[in-house]
Amino acid sequence: MRHKYTKVLYTHKSEGSLPQLIIAENENSQSKFVVQKILELREEGVPLEDIAVLFRSSFLSFDLEIELAKANIPFLKFGGFKFIETAHVKDMIAYLRVLENPRDVVAWNRILLLIDGVGPRTAEKIIDDILHRRAERPSSPFWEQYNSYTANVKELFEVMKSIASEKYPPAEKASRITTYYHPMFKKRYDDYTKRKKDLEMFEQIAARYSDVGTLLADLALEPPNESIADVTPPGIDDEYLTLSTIHSAKGLEWNSVFLIYALDGRFPTSRAVNDLDEMEEERRLMYVACTRAKEHLFITYPINVYDRETGTILTKPSRFLEGLDEKLLEPWVIGEE
Amino acid sequence: MVCSIYHTATDLSMKKYTLKKPKGELHLVSPARFRIDYKNELNPAQYAAVTSVNGPHLIVAGAGTGKTRTIVYRVAYLVELGVKPEHILLLTFTRKASQEMLRRAAVLLDYRCEKVSGGTFHSFANSTLRKHANLLGYERSFTILDQGDAEDVVNLIRTRLKLDTRERRFPKKETLYDLYSRSINTVTPVSNLLSIDYPHYRELEEDIAKVHTVYDEYKKSHNLMDYDDLLVNLMRLLQQHEPVRAELSNRYKYIMVDEFQDTNKLQAEIVRLLAYKHTNVMVVGDDSQSIYSFRGATIRNILDFPEQFPDCKIITLEENYRSTQAILNVANEILKRALD
Repeated sequence: MRHKYTKVLYTHKSEGSLPQLIIAENENSQSKFVVQKILELREEGVPLEDIAVLFRSSFLSFDLEIELAKANIPFLKFGGFKFIETAHVKDMIAYLRVLENPRDVVAWNRILLLIDGVGPRTAEKIIDDILHRRAERPSSPFWEQYNSYTANVKELFEVMKSIASEKYPPAEKASRITTYYHPMFKKRYDDYTKRKKDLEMFEQIAARYSDVGTLLADLALEPPNESIADVTPPGIDDEYLTLSTIHSAKGLEWNSVFLIYALDGRFPTSRAVNDLDEMEEERRLMYVACTRAKEHLFITYPINVYDRETGTILTKPSRFLEGLDEKLLEPWVIGEE
Repeated sequence: MVCSIYHTATDLSMKKYTLKKPKGELHLVSPARFRIDYKNELNPAQYAAVTSVNGPHLIVAGAGTGKTRTIVYRVAYLVELGVKPEHILLLTFTRKASQEMLRRAAVLLDYRCEKVSGGTFHSFANSTLRKHANLLGYERSFTILDQGDAEDVVNLIRTRLKLDTRERRFPKKETLYDLYSRSINTVTPVSNLLSIDYPHYRELEEDIAKVHTVYDEYKKSHNLMDYDDLLVNLMRLLQQHEPVRAELSNRYKYIMVDEFQDTNKLQAEIVRLLAYKHTNVMVVGDDSQSIYSFRGATIRNILDFPEQFPDCKIITLEENYRSTQAILNVANEILKRALD
């Protein structure tokens, strides 16, 4: 059985400066070093778009995110929560799903439970009604004969009826739904002002489509990457730094790449150490991380990190880097002035 | 006059013309008339990959070796050769990737390249299933459940069947969905996964299987598909409906798959089925960058491709255009220390 295809990468580009392996005495000193180095690179003319900070797992960048915010460095993070997975966007999508597939019980349940005075039991009853009528008369639209419901539920059916026709483009349907949904949305989410941007973005996305079916399929299959509510600092049109898990950095490249938390137990994660296959996959992840960099590669790791999983203190660099020739990977320690 | 006619006739009779069956080599347009100077714009390995036309090919493309460029040029090459764009299928890891590649091919050659069918396995499955949903007992308007929705449905069934009692702990919805999904994507029975990952739930095997069955019925009766259903149903469609398989295999005469190291078993099977009439498949990938096993991807697809397609030609791209040699040295060293 074949185990791998051997290849040795070479280039006609210049030798370049040596990648560095940098020890930080703790997590925060790692973050502060990265922030300072990013500012230096920028001074030297490397724009923020051409710099990325990569990590093995999404939670490893939390401390850095705080330091970046303090230093006013705008960034986008990839590999966290996705736009489509946020509750308010899922609500919006559910309305459209019901229009497209009236048998979509999951979506029905979601939008019925949003209504004041509708609990799981009422929702189930209404859904049964709808399915029942549909089975009897498949051609008649689901919004007919809803008179027996309470005023709140009736309102939902009226809204659906008013936008059901195919002559309304998806953007118009989305906009009508936003208006209807808004009071419930405000009540449900304390941070609704922040989330509101996602609804605007949803309408913008909808405007690119001419039918709801394609819009829904695309959203489900290829969701936009990040929720605006999750993204820190200013307007997204401005210059920004990339923070990303290695998985989400697949296929991309930057002039300068920082790999943080290259700490054995974090990368590879302590969960993987007992499984040979998982271990080899961790190694490939390290390879993917390093090959994202064009000119500068800074690999950092903090020491004195407590690992709850194993109850030990993590102090060593990733085993994939440990013992690498100093002529290949230059070791450094962060000093304070 | 007469004499010369006589001579010409003898000349003709000396040269024999016979009719042969075409071998499938497509030189409708002579390469000498190509608009793009492939040889000059590509390195030798890329050129070999781009100009490979018929039969199975595996392109092992190291990081930063111009993999995208190679795919873009191959699309243009096929189109220049006279292959109809509709007969080319390009499957990529994200939909954005295929759009970008086809756009670049169109800039390189012309608008015809944008007519190539491109997308992810899931988006290709979606559009194919919309056309043939009725063959599988679905309506064309089926909606797609994302992971969160799917877990909620599993939870609903779990509750309805009253499997979670005070006396007995039953796996949570996330665990159940993960089991079902991994079982499908890795083509491994749930019972095997249970013994490896959740041995303490082994005696619940029957009930866990029951939830799975009801979950499948529920989706079908409500015209719903989760992500895995898209692949499973496409595979079933191809396996069980010969006319559809033949139609698709005839339509997609040239199949290209990007990031083959991160495909799962179902996807490899779908490729095999789609190509059964011609085996014109070019898969591109890098086994050293296979990082999605937690989603069911298997590095074995790329490693076993030469066994799956025995007359496959392997081309390796090693010249890197991205990084400095100092960075590549570290990357090479990391790989070199891998277990053999």
